[in-house]
Amino acid sequence: MKNALHKAIAILAVSALVISCSKDDNEVITGTGNLGIEFDNAFGTNDLILNTQANTTSNNEVLKISNIKYIISNIVLTKEDGTIFTYPKSESYFIIDEADPTSVVAELENVPAGNYTKVKFGIGVDQAQWELGATGQGDLATRAQAAGMLWSWSAGYKFVVFEGTFTSATVTDSTPFMVHTGQTATDYNYTEVTLDLPTKAMVRTTISPEIHVVSDVSKIIDGTYKIKLSDNNMGGMGAMIMGGTNLPLITANLNGMFTVAHVHND
Amino acid sequence: MKKNSIYLALLCTQLSFGHAKKEPTNRFSFQKMALELEEDCDACGCSASGGSMGFSSMLNSNFVGLRYFNQSYSSRDGIFANSPWVNENFNTIQIWSKIPITEKLQISTLIPYQFHNRERSTGTENIQGLGDITVMGMYSVFQTHKDSTVFVHKLQLGGGIKIPTGKFDEANNSGSVNKSFQVGTGSWDYLLATEYVIKKSQLGVSTMLNYTLKTKNKKQYQFGNQFNYGSTLFYLFDLPTIKIVPQAGIAGEIYKSNSQYGEQLPETAGDILFSKFGLEIGITNFSLGINTMLPINQHLSNSKIEANYRWSINLNYSL
Repeated sequence: MKNALHKAIAILAVSALVISCSKDDNEVITGTGNLGIEFDNAFGTNDLILNTQANTTSNNEVLKISNIKYIISNIVLTKEDGTIFTYPKSESYFIIDEADPTSVVAELENVPAGNYTKVKFGIGVDQAQWELGATGQGDLATRAQAAGMLWSWSAGYKFVVFEGTFTSATVTDSTPFMVHTGQTATDYNYTEVTLDLPTKAMVRTTISPEIHVVSDVSKIIDGTYKIKLSDNNMGGMGAMIMGGTNLPLITANLNGMFTVAHVHND
Repeated sequence: MKKNSIYLALLCTQLSFGHAKKEPTNRFSFQKMALELEEDCDACGCSASGGSMGFSSMLNSNFVGLRYFNQSYSSRDGIFANSPWVNENFNTIQIWSKIPITEKLQISTLIPYQFHNRERSTGTENIQGLGDITVMGMYSVFQTHKDSTVFVHKLQLGGGIKIPTGKFDEANNSGSVNKSFQVGTGSWDYLLATEYVIKKSQLGVSTMLNYTLKTKNKKQYQFGNQFNYGSTLFYLFDLPTIKIVPQAGIAGEIYKSNSQYGEQLPETAGDILFSKFGLEIGITNFSLGINTMLPINQHLSNSKIEANYRWSINLNYSL
């Protein structure tokens, strides 16, 4: 009977040993892998639903959004040791379109294996790259044309397209709005955002992490700077914000639009 | 947590109370019934189901039983304020046995079969299969002996292992829903347990504390370590042909964060406190038990998981 107890203890001890010996914490990290950055559009704390969802801003304007697209570019990843990996610029253009579920994940390939703690990206096309001409942006010009992300009346890309209808205390009939950002005569309006990851993105040959970014589109007009659509409703024809002094403010607002919800290492 | 500490303090007081050496348990059936008193499975889904079942102490006889338990949860399927809540049902049928090896040592075995389902916007998901088997030894370090005092005590310490016989499917815990929608954790886990029972004639209190050390599974996923505690008041109506034991108590569970590839995963820790009520009925060698557990307060996965209730029914046969 005592033997049984001894046996039980022995089994416990042996299995504890087996477990502790099977740990391989000293893995050598080599090779490359894939990494996805998902852009999940939200309005405030709610998931964004196009067309039907009524979204209220802090100025009590009620927006129904029919279209939200933006160009993500210049993705730069930082490892835990501070090493920086710049994704090839000409392959780094992604048009995120809420209406097209296949577009919302920026899929990066041939990323050096490692533990990444930071991601930086641009919204729009930076000026230096733009000045290289269309070839500097890979096939972006073609894709942007198809997505309606090229200005029709002047050279340049639309960086953000934000459209729908709105009502407010002073605009009681459902009225269209269009916010398009991009370069103007006075401002270039490209901006970059750096986000810390809450947990490491562990790129390996066998692990393709996904960084889940929430893009709170309310921030476009309702961020650090509050822009009332009602004030831009010229002649009651709709609020069209495609230039002027509001664009740099909207561009500044984009810095607060993105947060990382979590990272999957699957 | 504050509340939990208060309960813990209460339990400790209870443990230190009473020294009298006493009569052993009067009736065999009384002992048997007390076995059913402790019941906790893992919150967040019985991925390690049964590992935290209180391995109650008072049975001296060979024993085998069948138990069904159901756990109902609601989990938020997504990260947004308007993300839908998903209802989850965790069902377990368990064969459990308790076999004395010596007068002081008992071996318990739990063999679960799991069948879980949940309703997502994309349709119903079902998983089923053999769960993780637990084997555990409990040793009586202190027991009141024959004499005649007012209080009867028994203190048991034990340990065990949970074997990854259940399938762990990585696909079920990607995404943002309840990570524990699994029939097994895929890991070898180790349990440490203590049980203390004090009785005065027909009235008793059974108290248990246990801790489960969970290890990494082959998919490099590691469920958080789990601390369970509980205390149950019971009373025996010892009638000529039937024994009836109503019982009421509290039970709590505290979870550490899960991790994957050694990285702690946010929003996976939590704690929950239940009230519990039950009834045991014994006739000849059979006993029938029903139990229910209702949450008093809970913070599971940053409140993205809510336990609704648990209930169980079991039939045991004393060999």
